[in-house]
Amino acid sequence: MDYTALSIKEIHDLYLSGKVTPLQVVEQAIAKAQKDTNNALEKTTFAEALKQAKDLSNSPVEKDNLLWGIPYFIKDNISTKGVETTASSNILKGYIPLFNAEVITRLNNKKAISLGKTTLDELAMGGSGMSGHLGYTFNPYDETHKRRVGGSSAGSAAVVAAGIVPFALGSDTGDSVRKPASYAGLVGFKPTWGRISRFGLFPFTPSLDAIGYFTRSVFDAALLLEVLAGRDEKDFTSSLKEVNDYTKYRAGVGGVKIALIKGISDKITNKTLLEAYEKSLKELKNRGAIIEYVNIDQVLINAIFSTYFVLSCAESTSNNANLDGVKFGLRQAGETYLDVIKNTRTKGFSPLIKRRFIIGAYSLKQENQELLFKRAQKARRLIVDEVNKVLSKYDVIYLPAAPGIAPEFNQKADNLNIEHLVADNHLAIANLAGLPSITLPLCLDNDLPIGVNLTGRAFAEKQLFAIAAVVEEITGLKGLQVGSKK
Amino acid sequence: MKIDKNKLKELANDLLFDMSEQEYDTLLMEFGELVTQMKLLEQIPNVDEGEPLIYPFETTNSFLREDEPGVPLSKEEVLSNVADSYAGQVRLPKVVN
Repeated sequence: MDYTALSIKEIHDLYLSGKVTPLQVVEQAIAKAQKDTNNALEKTTFAEALKQAKDLSNSPVEKDNLLWGIPYFIKDNISTKGVETTASSNILKGYIPLFNAEVITRLNNKKAISLGKTTLDELAMGGSGMSGHLGYTFNPYDETHKRRVGGSSAGSAAVVAAGIVPFALGSDTGDSVRKPASYAGLVGFKPTWGRISRFGLFPFTPSLDAIGYFTRSVFDAALLLEVLAGRDEKDFTSSLKEVNDYTKYRAGVGGVKIALIKGISDKITNKTLLEAYEKSLKELKNRGAIIEYVNIDQVLINAIFSTYFVLSCAESTSNNANLDGVKFGLRQAGETYLDVIKNTRTKGFSPLIKRRFIIGAYSLKQENQELLFKRAQKARRLIVDEVNKVLSKYDVIYLPAAPGIAPEFNQKADNLNIEHLVADNHLAIANLAGLPSITLPLCLDNDLPIGVNLTGRAFAEKQLFAIAAVVEEITGLKGLQVGSKK
Repeated sequence: MKIDKNKLKELANDLLFDMSEQEYDTLLMEFGELVTQMKLLEQIPNVDEGEPLIYPFETTNSFLREDEPGVPLSKEEVLSNVADSYAGQVRLPKVVN
């Protein structure tokens, strides 16, 4: 039986019934990971995982702990004690964290079993899965390796879509979990800003960053939030708000008010996607949802990507100033200490990252700050106010997660075409406003998946799961994986 | 926004790295794109009149941790990630020769 292609809950039920042990499941996951052809892995910890699985297999199953003995992978910008963590950047080659990220500590406490680290766009700055130091990460749905899986959480999306593990951790600054989830036919979730501790996550744009993850079902996404959410004193931005019993959501949309933002949905042109979207709306209506198109000033919608781009370049420039080769990571020789730092940074960062840093530094220069960085922060407030106005009247915003199927590697993003810019980048709304947001598979176009996205009110994750569970039921694509719907 | 290659080189120098001439050319083109992006922000009516939003929502964390002594990392641990160390310290080229 293909255990690792099941959901967390399904594997747990098999453990409970004694039909399989963690050792068997982990052995299967490792065997599959060893045959990975998608360039999804940075560093594996198979020996440790096998030892842990053996120990668990000799002890009783923890009935109420659904993560007990569940194998998973970790995006390589999340600190793992004793395991090299590079964020797919040469500048961090050889860096071995001395501590675990809070999310790792929590998963360890639940006895989930890490199999290692996954690839990403360098330092999580990118959305293609093409810029990591190991090269392109491939979409498991395309055996010819012509298509992207998206990014930046490229490897994590690939290992879950390929059926190697039932979940994987990622991070989401603009859409880095929720967009690859669309391209890889997965559930991809980002929580409210501050809901999950970011202690141990390499900062990219702290005012937007969130730790998120990929799963095969909405229930599994809720289950993980129950474990990962909550106050952490080590992260000053972590919220004091009470953690809910997220898995106790009751799937239903009776009386639920769903907003469709016209200025975004009308930019979608893919016919299969539009048909599936319309069909899902009809079904949601049949089940009692109140669905309405709302308008947000188009100039604000058009400015979502620009706002995100300026803020992310600026914040990342400053946050990565500590990568200098002195205290950790790669070091290049030089005549003076400044030469050491300059040579290290010249050699350690890829050209793409350097260009982004320069754009960031430019927008932070005193003479440019008002017109660039500050203006983007002001635009952010206007966008966020409008989105929150919508969410004061509606429970969720429901939109296609991407304009279509995963693009090919050689397909250039047309950022000067405003229609495409909006359709391809609107998920950043949830980062700008810090809102919980979930992508799940909606349809297949030529055997390649496309997702739909739900974004809810801050800290209203339980309601978001309740609505997403209905969409999951309507699409019938729960547990979707490569080859399952051919 | 006026930008030329020399300005870009100055910025790269401030950031303590260098790039090839070809990369500076690519970046110059990307600045053209940035200008287009910035025009989209300019089009927002009264964009400069509001207050900047720095975090997604106003947070209320306004306390400090208790000032309790803790166990810091050992010197060996700290140096374990350093490429070049000597006599328990991080070693870099001499500043005063």
